[in-house]
Amino acid sequence: MLNPLRSEQEAFRFLLYVVVVAAVLIGIVFAVRALT
Amino acid sequence: MEAATAHADHHHGPPAANVSSRVEAQFLGMLLFIISEVMLFGAFFTAYFFIRVVADSGWFPIEGVDLPKAIAGVNTAILISSSFTMHWALEGARNENRNALRVGLLTTALLGLSFLTIQVNEYVHIGFAPSDNAQSTIFYGLTGLHGAHVFVGLTLLTFATVRAFRGHFTAKEHRGVEVPGIYWHFVDVMWIVVYSSVYLL
Repeated sequence: MLNPLRSEQEAFRFLLYVVVVAAVLIGIVFAVRALT
Repeated sequence: MEAATAHADHHHGPPAANVSSRVEAQFLGMLLFIISEVMLFGAFFTAYFFIRVVADSGWFPIEGVDLPKAIAGVNTAILISSSFTMHWALEGARNENRNALRVGLLTTALLGLSFLTIQVNEYVHIGFAPSDNAQSTIFYGLTGLHGAHVFVGLTLLTFATVRAFRGHFTAKEHRGVEVPGIYWHFVDVMWIVVYSSVYLL
């Protein structure tokens, strides 16, 4: 299981996941705003 | 694991009562520090969402003032780039590539300094003060809290960079880079949450 506090490698991987999740969420919110 | 090995080198039997056999003290310290930081940011985000929900005038733009999303976006790219260079530096340490370690750490510190400089410049030109209204108070509060963390990260990076240029750190012993690296990635993660919620959404 990914533990970002265990090593720098895992922290870096966690950061990449956060970037992707944030981009998807922002995209969804913007799409919903544009459609409503 | 390494702590347990190091401990076993000195004497046999169970570890001392105040020493963990599973986590090194340096990592445990940073782990507890980051957990407390998450709670601190949580308190500020609670205030932010509360203000955003209850404020009559809504979030920005208020009274013709909007947040500089594009500039903050560039700053976000700078900070994310600095995490890549931090990771590169640590890979350099792991592979005994001293040039990668030094250049990676120096670049990370310079990118972090650029981020802070741009943020200060943003404050100068943004057109509202922390005391103007609740929105501006929490805006400065959240972004300022994060900026303070970048400053702390920069301080840690400066120590690591100076040590790297003095020939410290090896493939086996590079905790002085890894622990600041974990902190730096944490600061980046926090900024992504701040930028997404405060500037974009």
